[in-house]
Amino acid sequence: MNATIIQDMSLFHLIGSASLPVQLVMLLLLLTSFLSWWYIFRKLFVIRQAIRQSDEFENIFWKGPDLNALYQSAAASRHTAGSMERIFEAGFREFIKHKRQPGMDISTVMDGTRRAMRATYQREMDNLESHLSFLATVGSVSPYIGLFGTVWGIMNSFRGLSNVNQATIAHVAPGIAEALIATAMGLFAAIPAVIAYNRYANSIDRLATRFESFMEELSNVLQRQATG
Amino acid sequence: MRAAALRDPSHVEPGLVPAGILAVLVHLLFLGFLIFGFNWRTYPPENMMVDLWSSLPPPPQPAPRPQPAPPPRPVPLVQPPAKPVPPPAPKPAEPPPQVKEAPPPPPPPKPEIAVEEKIEKPKPVEKKPVEKKSPETRQSAEKDQKERIEKELRAQKEKEEKELKAKEQQARVAAEVERLRREEEAEEKLQAQAAAQSRLSNEIAEYKARILAKIKRNIIMPPDLPGNPVAEFDVTLLPGGDILDARLRSSSGHAGFDEAVERAIFLSKPLPVPPDPALFPKFRNLNLKVHYRE
Repeated sequence: MNATIIQDMSLFHLIGSASLPVQLVMLLLLLTSFLSWWYIFRKLFVIRQAIRQSDEFENIFWKGPDLNALYQSAAASRHTAGSMERIFEAGFREFIKHKRQPGMDISTVMDGTRRAMRATYQREMDNLESHLSFLATVGSVSPYIGLFGTVWGIMNSFRGLSNVNQATIAHVAPGIAEALIATAMGLFAAIPAVIAYNRYANSIDRLATRFESFMEELSNVLQRQATG
Repeated sequence: MRAAALRDPSHVEPGLVPAGILAVLVHLLFLGFLIFGFNWRTYPPENMMVDLWSSLPPPPQPAPRPQPAPPPRPVPLVQPPAKPVPPPAPKPAEPPPQVKEAPPPPPPPKPEIAVEEKIEKPKPVEKKPVEKKSPETRQSAEKDQKERIEKELRAQKEKEEKELKAKEQQARVAAEVERLRREEEAEEKLQAQAAAQSRLSNEIAEYKARILAKIKRNIIMPPDLPGNPVAEFDVTLLPGGDILDARLRSSSGHAGFDEAVERAIFLSKPLPVPPDPALFPKFRNLNLKVHYRE
């Protein structure tokens, strides 16, 4: 009797004594959790950088420097430029090209410029939003995966109970404890993923709004330059 | 050229590796928290003792120790009637036979002499016929012998009867003694029980007083209530003195005082409860009467 009560309840022992499906579920959850945290940090860095670069570029842009010089520097540092700088560069390049061709209608020039800027904008947004869906998936699915592991483990421990004459809590407790680890892991993966997803989606939305207003303003500036 | 320029996103994503390192760190942290911050029970829980008492009497078990004092008192009371009987009880085995064997042969020494006599007697019988050879004497001698033998037989019978009687008496005495002893024991037990009972009730009263005192200490008495209002509470306790529930049974008529008492009850949370688990049932549902003035 005592021998059944004195059980090693350490974490590793619990995981080690779990049944194979439960262990697989735990492994899957560990991988998911690792990936989701990796993406959380990657996106954190990316979004922070995007915000910082946008701030810097807007600062420079609204100080009213020569647009040609700004374009030159943006084209030169294309690999390290921020999203807003890229949008500006794409729009300005298109604008210059149309301007060089004589006899172009101003509205046609502006349409082309806008299209170019929108294309870049969409590419940038796509880049910013990449992997966010992964976080959303992890956030909504991993609790279920953990739950699956737990249900499986509890099923097993209760099935073992049916062979015992005198059922005590000591017979099921270790099985349930080990099964609950799966749920804990699922929640550990899901909670940060959901928080990060919501936070990043919000940040990206605000960045998108900034980019769109910048595009409108730049169109105005370029149109004035073309007519003036 | 332009397409190439545009398609070349060349987004140098910042901090790919640092992100990975951070992710690993987070998991290590969590693992460390699981292992060290959470007390995974690697030792058996402290043995739980569950005593099932079908009734309260068992507590007297500790009582017998102090009890030895009272028994002496009842013994003298009961024994006077018994005494007349017991004295013969221990001895009857040996003395009676002595007394009974004595009558047939007047000489005091008994068994050995009886045997000697037996041996001596045949001799005279043999000698006499040889010396005198007269039939009368022989007849008388034979008669004598017969008488003697009869006497001896009778004596033996008597002896046996007496022994039987003695044994019976002995048995009766023993039974009597046994009965008395049993009665005494029963009485002792009863007394012990009664003593334990009174001790228990004393203890219960003492702890109830302590509980009341502790609660009183925590009451912030509303000032200047007229008279001596009494608030009566039904308190449900858990083993160890925790309070599960406290319900107002009868109000004192002053809501402020009732509330003050209720607050005080919960403030004095581990209520002093006797450590003896057998006593706890008396405290499970406690009825407390708190007087405004004592």
